Parts: sequence; structure tokens; C-alpha cells
Amino acid sequence: MPMRIQRLTALIRKETTQLLRDRRTLMFIIALPLIELFLFAYAVSLTVYHLPTAIVDQSHDSQSRAFIQALVSSTYFDETMVAGSEAEAQQAIDAGQVKAGVVIPPDFAADIERGDANVLILLDGSDSFSVQSGYSAASSIAQSFSLSLTAEKVERMGTALGNISGTPPIVTSTRVLYNPDMKDLWFILPAIVGMIIQTLAVAQAALIVVKDREIGTMEQILVTPVRPIELILGKMIPLLGIILVITAIILGLGVFWFGVAFQGSLWLYFWLSLLFIGSSLGLGLLVSTVAKTQRQAQQISMVIMLFSMLLSGIVYPRNAMPLIPQAIGDLLPLTYFIRLSRGIMTKGVGLTFLWQDALVLVGYAVVVLLVAAASFKKRLD
Amino acid sequence: MLRRILAITQKEFIQTLRDRTTLAIMLSMPLLQLILFAYAIHMDVRQIPLVVADQSMDAASRSYITDMVRSDYFQIVETVQGQADVIAAIDAGTARAGLVIPPDFAAQVDRGSANVLLLVDGSDPFTTQSAYNAANAISQTHAVSLALNDLSRSAPGISEQDLSPLDTHIRILYNPDLKDLWFLIPGMIAMLLQTQTIALTSLAVVREREAGTIEQILVSPIRPLELMLGKTLPNLVIALINMLTIVVVGALGFGVPFQGNFALFLGLALIYVFSGLGLGLLISSVSQNPRQAQQLNMMISLVGLIISGFIFPRYTMPPVLQGVGYIFPLTFFIPIARGIFTKGIGIDVLWGNVAALAIFAVGIIFFASRFFRQRLD
Repeated sequence: MPMRIQRLTALIRKETTQLLRDRRTLMFIIALPLIELFLFAYAVSLTVYHLPTAIVDQSHDSQSRAFIQALVSSTYFDETMVAGSEAEAQQAIDAGQVKAGVVIPPDFAADIERGDANVLILLDGSDSFSVQSGYSAASSIAQSFSLSLTAEKVERMGTALGNISGTPPIVTSTRVLYNPDMKDLWFILPAIVGMIIQTLAVAQAALIVVKDREIGTMEQILVTPVRPIELILGKMIPLLGIILVITAIILGLGVFWFGVAFQGSLWLYFWLSLLFIGSSLGLGLLVSTVAKTQRQAQQISMVIMLFSMLLSGIVYPRNAMPLIPQAIGDLLPLTYFIRLSRGIMTKGVGLTFLWQDALVLVGYAVVVLLVAAASFKKRLD
Repeated sequence: MLRRILAITQKEFIQTLRDRTTLAIMLSMPLLQLILFAYAIHMDVRQIPLVVADQSMDAASRSYITDMVRSDYFQIVETVQGQADVIAAIDAGTARAGLVIPPDFAAQVDRGSANVLLLVDGSDPFTTQSAYNAANAISQTHAVSLALNDLSRSAPGISEQDLSPLDTHIRILYNPDLKDLWFLIPGMIAMLLQTQTIALTSLAVVREREAGTIEQILVSPIRPLELMLGKTLPNLVIALINMLTIVVVGALGFGVPFQGNFALFLGLALIYVFSGLGLGLLISSVSQNPRQAQQLNMMISLVGLIISGFIFPRYTMPPVLQGVGYIFPLTFFIPIARGIFTKGIGIDVLWGNVAALAIFAVGIIFFASRFFRQRLD
């Protein structure tokens, strides 16, 4: 019996009606990605400036003030508290009032003159982002402060410096490609689009099939002349439509509202996301063949979401991972799509650089859909 | 009243234990998450693939490159001719960072006007940050040591001590080696307890409603609050088992020290779990079907993940979002978990968060059962 367009369109119409009827669910499906986008845009900052800092200045001379000034003017540290002693600064970190403490001992200026001054910087090691920003900022500020002191001193000693000055002889200019201002959303948006698509597609595809099975309507459908592949397509095409709309909304907001640059070809991006949505729906169908109840389907989708968050390269870089987590990540369509998405959106490169990932995604979609269709048939016997 | 609660608890326990697959997934989730975090996640990225275009090939350029590689932050994967090749390698993704050293580098260094260009792939957040920070720090150190050399050569009378008049000691409290897992475990416990309690409970009432059994329960003498408590107890047990798994495996398996008072931690975790259960019940009363319940609790987990301070520090967020964070018990519990687990502090410092959490727990359970009753009319 060949596939009939008529039967397929009837199924699509039924599923679309069902999908649109449950208004509240539909609202959630659309609202969730938007909330996600806005949160990431406004709440997430990957580099931490303005660390609340407790200053213990036991010296109160020109040198100690200059050092504090150097820390504060770097914008990495904010002097939010003045403490009397190291213990007091540590208490403030214990209580979480500040994230860092700077302790300058008495007689700082005189110590510098003698060349054996000490400064202690305390950092809250329970908060990883703060500590990492704080650490590298503090050490480089202290280093340049120290160098300028030395230069000053040498100059005062009256030595002929010639062309040697207190500035370092090498200037390293760092240029960040594709995202010159290191804007956080530029990093995150291309990945978040993929994450949202995959999470939605897997969970919805799995639930929609399992629900029919759980409430027993699956059998009713299957005694009709409808074939499994038609049934699958009928259920998936409306979902595909909705997810495509959501993708467009997020991209539109990202580009026009938040000003994230879209460097590459929109047309190519459209086709690749279509492919990616297909693969993700297929993964959801695979879940539905394993899960017996909606609760299980939900649990499994949550596990997949967790894996995707951590292993696909959204935030945590994949090349820092050991082989096994990397291999698990390879099983997720998101891993390939993130590279494609960053490639097109942020880098502006085309298929010449991306053909491998695109090809894998094609293979993935085909294999997953075939496996899902095959196991669909078997489960009915 | 106690008997009725127990009866419901018993029923829920049987139902929970019967569904083996779900139970297995629920119990293995925390372990899975822990292992993933322990082995897969490195916040501080090392061995970033680097492409080098050394157009000078002299002693100065070689020592600069050696400093870069020796830091362990960079690993040379390719050597090319010029800047265009470097950009091409980053475009293709074979390297994440590139170094361009101009011709006549040694001479320029002697004149004090050398320029190095470092290119960083700006499409990958963590790598970019690490590469950017590391490269700047390394080249600064390198340059400073060259400058100091020059200074000591030009001023022979200067002593070693004069060259570095200031010693800066940076002490990282609680986690001196900056181990990622030490950062993550307390937050992970908090996160997991919230996700699980909300997910488990939010489905509880909705499922009864969909299956139609809710009416049968309600014509019996059981009161809504009793139903709520009875339903939450088995979930409470599962949540606590999960918490213990993480603490024990984290401490014994991965050597993350538990600094504070464990009994205090357990007690406060219990209050916290109750508030999560309350939130779940509220979702349950609001949703019409399991799908909606699932969407709602995904939303809560996600929002909680981002604005509670689990990963991203709260003080960098705009005030409005910081305010929204207070809707989640997670926001109060993360400082508690980090405080007791990593910092080893006690209730004398944490009382503010504890009080907020307790009020939250009582309020939300009360609110959920009120709401539940209203929905029945």
C-alpha cells in the first residue's frame, strides 16, 4: 500500500487541531524559549567585573592609596566595604557580603622603599566565576604596579636609562575574531537557539506519541488503513511547523532586539535548522519507543537535556573533555548544530567549512527516522 | 489525621516502587550528573589549540612562544606563514587561537617597540575567555621579565630586591587549588533537590486528576492538606537519598571535603526540600494535564538555574532579575549549601537565609493547599 497524501493531510489536520486546542500548553511551548532568551540576555555575564571588595588599609599612605586606586580603576574590583583587619575581611567573605579582600599592612610606603612590601589578596573560592576573574585581574594589576615602581626607582637612582623605560618592550594586541567586544549574547545565542529547538523537539515528539499509546487511541488509529510512516509524519509535521516558528522568533529577537550579528547566509541557516529539527524529532521518536508512560518519556527527555547542556559545547568547551564524554556528546544532534550555528551566525563561513557537520546531520536524521519507524511497527505485534 | 496521611503515603510508596524504570532513572540522575561534572566539565580551559605564524624565527620570538606553550594553556597544532593563514585555521576550527609574530622581532624588542598580534576565536565563550586572559597574562609576565632584565643591565647597582619591590600574595579561601568540583557540588545538590522535588510533586496531583481518581480520593474523609503531605513524603525520601548519594560519592569518591556541620546541613536541606515540594504542588494545582505540569516545571528549573546564582554570580545581574530570584527557594539555599559545605560556616552567619527559607516553606505549602481546594469547587 503506497503512502497516500490524502491520508497524510488528514492526519496533519487532526494533529494540528489537537495542538492548537490546548491553548495553555501551546502558550508554554512558545513562552519557554522566550523566557530562556531574555534570561540569558540580561542575567548571564561570563566575565565578572565589579567584584564587591573589602579593603583593609592599615597604612593609609600615598602608595597604599595608589595601589587601591589601581585595583578599583581596573573596574574588576569595587570598594564596597572598609574593614579594620584581615580577620574582619575574611568574616565578610564568610558571610558572603564581599567576594574579595585586599589587605595592605602598616608602613606600606616604607616597605616599598626598602623593596620588601607585601600585599595580601583574599578571594572567595566558593564562587568560581568571581574567583577566576579576580585572580587574573589582581595578579596582572599588581605586576604592572610593581614594574612601574621599579622603573620609578631606577630613574630616581639617576642611571641613564637611554631608551629603556618602565613600559614593557613587547606590546601584545589581542584581537577577538568574530566577536570583537566579547559580548556574551553573541557567544550564547547561536547555541541557545539549538538548545531550545532540541529540547522542545525531543520532549514534544516523545510525549505526543506516548500519550496516544497511554490513553489507547493509538490502537484505534492503527486499525485504520494508516501506515506507521504516515502516522509518524502526520504527527511530526505540525510540530516541525511550530518549532520553526519559534526558531524564527528567537532569531528575530536576537538579531533585531539584542543586536546579535548574523554574519552568514540566512537561507543556508534555514535549511540546516530544518534538518536539525528533523533529527531532534527523530530522537524524540526513539525516546517514545523506549518510554512506556508520559512520566518516563519526560524523565528521559530531561536526561537528554542534561547531557546536551553539558556535553554539546554550549558553554563548556568540548576540546577540554575526555574522550568518553566527547563520544556521548557526538550522539546528540545538538553537538553538530552548534558548530553549524556558530559557523554561520558568528563566523559567517559557508558550507566549504561546514560540510562535514551538515553531512553528519543528514545521516543522523535519516537513520533516526528509519529506526524509529521500524521499531514502531514492531511494537504493535 | 496521622493515620490518613500514612495511608496515602503507603499508597504512593507502592505506586512509586512499582514503576521500576522511572525509579531507576530518578535514582541514577544525581550520580550521572556528578560523574559528568567530575569528568567532563573544566571551567578553566587548558591546551587550547594554537596556530603560530612566526615571521621572525629568532631567539626572542622563540622564547616568547616557549613561554606560551609552557604555561600549558596553549598547544601548538599548526605553524603557518602569515596572518591570513592564521585566520583561515581559526575559520576552519582547527585552532582556537593564533599568534602572529612580525619579522625582526628581536631587534624590535631591543628597541622596546615590539608588537605581537594574538587572534582569539570569539565564537566559543569559555575558550575565548581562557585564551584571552591566559595570553595577556603570559605575555605581560614575559614582557615584564624582559623589562626587568633591561633595567638591571642598565643600572648595575640595583639589587634583586629592588627589582620587585612589591610581593602580592593571592590567597583563595575555601578552595585553594580552584578545583571545579568543589565549586559545583554544593550548587549541584541544591539544583538537583529542587528539580527533582518539583518534577516529582508537580505530576502527583495532575496524574490523579487525569486518571479521574482524584474525585474518589476527595469523597473520602481525606483533607487536602493530608493528601498533600501524604503525597510528598515518598518524594521527600527519594530526594534525600539523592542528596546523600551526591554528598557521599562527592566526598569519598572525588575527595570534595565537607567542611561544616553535617547535621545542620541535613536539617536545612529538609526545610529546603519541603519548600520545593510546595512549589511542585502549586504547579500541580495550576496545571490541567501532565504536559502543562512538565512545561511549567521545566520553566522553573531553567529560570532557577540561571538566576539563582548556581553558575552565574547574582551580583552582576540587574536588580529586577535579582528580585525575581527570590521567588525560588534555590536562591536562599545556594548560599546555605556553599556556606556549610565549602566554607564551613554555621547558623550564626546563615540565619538570614535560613529564616527566609523557613518562611517560604510554610507559606508555599499553605498556599498550595488553599489553591488546591479552590480549584475543586
